[in-house]
Amino acid sequence: MGYKQPKAKNYDGDEDNYNKDDKPKMTTGQQLLPSMIKNKDKRSAVHAKLKEQKKLEKRKKAKARDALEKRAIELGEELPPRPVPRTIENTREADETICKPDDEELFAANDADEFSSVLKQEHVPKILITTCRFNSTRGPEFISDLLSVIPNAHYYKRGTYDLKKIVEYANKKDFTSLIVVHTNRREPDALLVIGLPDGPTAHFKLTKLVLRKDIKNHGNPTSHKPELVLNNFTTQLGHRIGRLIQSLFPQDPNFRGRRVVTFHNQRDFIFFRHHRYIFENKENKQSDSKTTKNKDGKVESVSKDRVIARLQECGPRFTLKLRTLQHGTFDTKGGEYEWVHKPEMDTSRRRFFL
Amino acid sequence: MPRTSVIECPGCPPVRALTFDVLGLIKVVEARGKEKGVAKVVERWGEPDPSKCVLAASIDDCEFDPLLAVARKCGSIELISPVNGDLRLSLSNGSQVDGEPEDDPVSGLHLFKKKKLQSSSRSCTLLSCSKKGRVVLRSVELSSGDVNGNGTPLTWTVCGSGDVLCSKVDENENYALFGGKRVEVNVWDLEKRTKIWTAKSPPKNNLDIFTPTWFTSATFLNKDDHRKLVTGTNQHQVRLYDIAAQRRPVISFDFLEASITAVTEDLDGRKVYVGNGSGDLASFDIRTGKLLGRFSGKCSGSIKSIARHPELPVLASCGLDRYLRFWDTESRQLLSAVFLKQHLTSVVLDSQFNDEEVAGSDAPIPPNVSLELELDESLDEGEEDPQPVKKKKKSKELSGSKKKKNITLDEDEEDPQPVKRKKKSKELGGSKKKKTKQQSIVLYTFDGVCLK
Repeated sequence: MGYKQPKAKNYDGDEDNYNKDDKPKMTTGQQLLPSMIKNKDKRSAVHAKLKEQKKLEKRKKAKARDALEKRAIELGEELPPRPVPRTIENTREADETICKPDDEELFAANDADEFSSVLKQEHVPKILITTCRFNSTRGPEFISDLLSVIPNAHYYKRGTYDLKKIVEYANKKDFTSLIVVHTNRREPDALLVIGLPDGPTAHFKLTKLVLRKDIKNHGNPTSHKPELVLNNFTTQLGHRIGRLIQSLFPQDPNFRGRRVVTFHNQRDFIFFRHHRYIFENKENKQSDSKTTKNKDGKVESVSKDRVIARLQECGPRFTLKLRTLQHGTFDTKGGEYEWVHKPEMDTSRRRFFL
Repeated sequence: MPRTSVIECPGCPPVRALTFDVLGLIKVVEARGKEKGVAKVVERWGEPDPSKCVLAASIDDCEFDPLLAVARKCGSIELISPVNGDLRLSLSNGSQVDGEPEDDPVSGLHLFKKKKLQSSSRSCTLLSCSKKGRVVLRSVELSSGDVNGNGTPLTWTVCGSGDVLCSKVDENENYALFGGKRVEVNVWDLEKRTKIWTAKSPPKNNLDIFTPTWFTSATFLNKDDHRKLVTGTNQHQVRLYDIAAQRRPVISFDFLEASITAVTEDLDGRKVYVGNGSGDLASFDIRTGKLLGRFSGKCSGSIKSIARHPELPVLASCGLDRYLRFWDTESRQLLSAVFLKQHLTSVVLDSQFNDEEVAGSDAPIPPNVSLELELDESLDEGEEDPQPVKKKKKSKELSGSKKKKNITLDEDEEDPQPVKRKKKSKELGGSKKKKTKQQSIVLYTFDGVCLK
């Protein structure tokens, strides 16, 4: 007790000039962090104070920026450049495997790889879709959605065949790719895309599956060949995955169908979306809806022949994440992997592989 | 802001490596500088052509007139100068029976190092093994381009069925081993061309399941002993065979769960480096079968080839992840990694490279190179060549054990053990010291101070 008492007293005595104390500390750079204070009350007080300070500073900054912009508008000058927010994507770790557009080795490798015959339109892509051994509820629904997305896709019942046997069969029947939908607890959770006859095998984790019937106001796709959008497959590995996906679709889309399939890669997650689009004249829309009449006539005259694109989502919506890319066709025991995701790779949030 | 972690590559001592890829390109990677060189691609030989995919390569890096043999997918074997990449000679792979070279690709290649010393004119001897088991041994006159330098190529087959996937010639170049899918490892005497030993598959396991034979990689364990073989199988097993002891493996242990794709022995024949199909690399103490440690460095693609530097403690590995990596064999740390854009099929180290003669790579090599270096697969003919003290000790002891072996072949298994153990204890002391040193270094680097 005798030891504790003076300490407590010390705190009490200091409390009045506490703020005086901590301010010089902050300025001298020693930095009294709230976490260094043991008393919770005082800690939270200091913390609240710090937060308040930060908020004020931020507000001040924003105000100053707004004022600058306003003045620039008044004076007719050019607006000061808006600072670019720092995101995980644009602070991505430097990666030497990113493909460069002037790399002749890359083009030579493209010509030599397994997909080149399909992508050069020497072969028409023909896809076999099958499932894992046990398949029910969402699995078949997802497959029927997939069948409507991918042209020239054929569903075969899995039965009790080995996957290696199925690969053999598909090779014999001149299929160019094989997709296996793996379900777990009646929920599709993995996708295996195998290039045939000797293409790579990609194993994806499948999450966030929304089927067509669960999408509000969904459209129904036509049987036209869709256009394909592949976004952000930048590294050598991503390029390969992009080509694998590209080889699933025919290379001559029917633009009349106005149907587009998107694989968008963001932070190694590949987002799948399927849309129909339509071009509409903005002018029509404005004359129809008379609520926006208060806008001046100048704008309207400009937008007379402006065309906007509208999207309607149809087909499933899901997210893929690459787990492994295997060299050759499916072979879990003796296979050699081109890329395997390992936990020791996840030491940075800013490192991406696709 | 979350912290980002960057792997600090400490850089590697001066080494020169040649890598071969699926487009038939040969890339020369060099690390220069005294201690902490960063490996870089210096040269690229050849034009990208998928039909020229390199299947196997072998280097003869002697002081004078080094030579490199490369087997291509299109069925030709090229002899290339590893100094400047000039094509010296191109020959067919020797499977004249069937026209299509793609039917019977080369699976193993070895360029002999000793025999060319005998003849005054430049000739070299080549052993190539095709997937169906056709072995061709021939000597080639380099100057005249005459394929049948002295006599017709000697051809024989090592297996009736199955695919030969791995072959290796021992250091003295008297024996060769072959193994593969449905082919048990067998050892051949190259002079008499007779099979001297065949392995026996391990018995059925406790569930009465027989695992089919499928060797994917093999090597001789010791420099001057052709009787110990290390093999890796498709069923992720590493096995040590002793010809003198028995036909079944002496030691057999598992390594993870992907097929073993590369096995390379250390210089002293105690350690082996094992790489597998999912990109894991580890070193094992082969005497006990214990894992010494794994090489950690975000290696994500199947390892196709491992090469041990004959002099420096450096290991090079390459594979399907398109990287060539240099490792420290003792600390198992990544020294340097180079991105080479293509799937790599094999790597060889040019041990004649030293930093001083960097200025002109085709400048004549000074004749008084004190250290005669050898590749891991090179032979140890130069027993008398000046090497570090430690190594000398080793060779002495090894030769001692060899003598004993010669006397009692059957007891061979137990006999060398005491000798070895003594050595071990000695060595352990040494290595411990080393380890502590390294640890201290690591600590220093953590503080931000570099000792080196």
